[in-house]
Amino acid sequence: MSETSKKSPMDMVFASVTGIASFSVIIFIIGILYVLINESSLAIRQFGVIQFLTSADWDPVKNSFGALTNIYGTFLTTILSMVFAIPVAIGIAIFVTEISPNALKGPIGIAIELLAAIPSIIYGMWGLFTLSPIMSNYVEPFLKKITVGLPFVNIIFQGTPMGIDILTASVILSIMIIPFTASIARDSFNLTPSVVKESAYAIGATKWEVVKNVVLPYSKLGVFGGIVLSLGRALGETMAVAFVLGNNHRITTSLLDAAATITVTLANEFAEADTDIYLSSLFYLALVLFVMSFITLAIAKFFLLKAERKYSR
Amino acid sequence: MMTHERKRRIEGIIALTFSTLAAFLGLFWLVFILGDVLIHGVKALNLNLFLNDPAPAGVDGGGLRNAFVGQLMITICATLIGVPVGVLGGTFLAEYARGRTIARIISILADIMVSVPSIVIGTFIYAVMVKPIGHFSGWAGAIALAIIMVPVVLRTTEDMLSLVPWTIREAAFALGAPYHKVITQVVYRAAATGILTGILLSIARVAGETAPLLFTSFNNAYYSLNMNQPISSLTVTIFQYAMGPYDSWHSQAWAAAFVITIFILLLTITGRLIIKWRYR
Repeated sequence: MSETSKKSPMDMVFASVTGIASFSVIIFIIGILYVLINESSLAIRQFGVIQFLTSADWDPVKNSFGALTNIYGTFLTTILSMVFAIPVAIGIAIFVTEISPNALKGPIGIAIELLAAIPSIIYGMWGLFTLSPIMSNYVEPFLKKITVGLPFVNIIFQGTPMGIDILTASVILSIMIIPFTASIARDSFNLTPSVVKESAYAIGATKWEVVKNVVLPYSKLGVFGGIVLSLGRALGETMAVAFVLGNNHRITTSLLDAAATITVTLANEFAEADTDIYLSSLFYLALVLFVMSFITLAIAKFFLLKAERKYSR
Repeated sequence: MMTHERKRRIEGIIALTFSTLAAFLGLFWLVFILGDVLIHGVKALNLNLFLNDPAPAGVDGGGLRNAFVGQLMITICATLIGVPVGVLGGTFLAEYARGRTIARIISILADIMVSVPSIVIGTFIYAVMVKPIGHFSGWAGAIALAIIMVPVVLRTTEDMLSLVPWTIREAAFALGAPYHKVITQVVYRAAATGILTGILLSIARVAGETAPLLFTSFNNAYYSLNMNQPISSLTVTIFQYAMGPYDSWHSQAWAAAFVITIFILLLTITGRLIIKWRYR
């Protein structure tokens, strides 16, 4: 920075204004944390931390609140959707970087970006009106039929296929996070130096062997970061699941049952909470979600930064 | 007998077939979802939708004028609040604090903020704006969206300003210009398209947000321009109508979904085209 810049008083003003604007990010984060802790203090005092996180009792009538059903639903839908989404996303990334003819690369890249740009409420509504009937009429009866005699497996497909359940919600969530994961994986794959790939081809490796033994190991940090980032997004996704998850505060072993996630509970019950302890418990849930996703996203960022540093070397 | 060579080749073919299928599965979902929104949306689209207010629940007809106007007002107000803060904040990181630890920390935190669940921001605004005032309001919704916008705009502005060559600033310094003049009159101009693109994409991002509006701007069955009162938005209306029992509500929800999807995709495509054209 030049010496003259320090002399102008206008410059001091402009520097301060921009400084305050950029510190707003820190203020938001600390503010959200402070306000959520403050608002949930009533529930924290009444239910504690461990008890709140491990109690499955969510009963507004008896004013008894525990977060376990919500946390369970959040984790179950998130993990299932990741299981569905990761292979597809990696497949897309491999296709775009290694297989596709150049003419197709652009359109598929754009398609992925558009898929990422569609708002989550559209996914949710589409899930309710289109996917849910398909699931309840075809997919879920089929899954029940093929798993009918199998021990353990038939437990997860118990119950009437209604289409409003954990499975449908997870499928929608997975469609939503595929583009995030795919575009980060693609960017990471693209950073593999062609010299390294060409060396592998030169000693006779097939295309798949190059992907498996050169590209994937080389870009694993970035891909992993992308996966954790999508995980963080899936944890906090509200509208895509709110339509098709029901709002059922029970812990169920069947994927064909309705459930509740933290976000769905907040969306459905926040504006209706009629007692202080009810509202405070909902703030407590929001706090749990905020801390959970913040930590997940921070881990993702850590890996992505590490990957960036590695590639720029 | 299968030779080793053959096994390797077959393994390769299988793996590559699967990734090709994966790519087409991704395309399939896009076509399926967009096609569905298009077909149902166009069918339900008519002029009354934009000109009339909602009919009483269960009665056919009526429109969503209140939601269109409300959505527009909330989005515009959010943009007017969020964009200046984001642009100025990004300016600080790329100019005054360039290379400092604090710039790095804020930049990383902003990246995290971009993905923080938007519903949490809704609860935050409920606590600081709705509860003290005592009722839902359009301003609360606009500020919730603005908070979501700030980190997006801030990060793109920082990146775009960092792309401006340092020599351009030095040329301006050499003429005796103070730093703020260099930034506002030279650097901003050099990075204008990039910053504008960031703003477009951030509007696309918040225009489809529903969760932070559920308990901030809430909803309003009547036409209202008062930002101090609950105000209707397209997204919250879609949620309410799609979950509601009436067929007429469902078709209006599709129409609203169609309009908002087209709007957002056009913004996104415009943004991408500008980036492609400018930063090839």
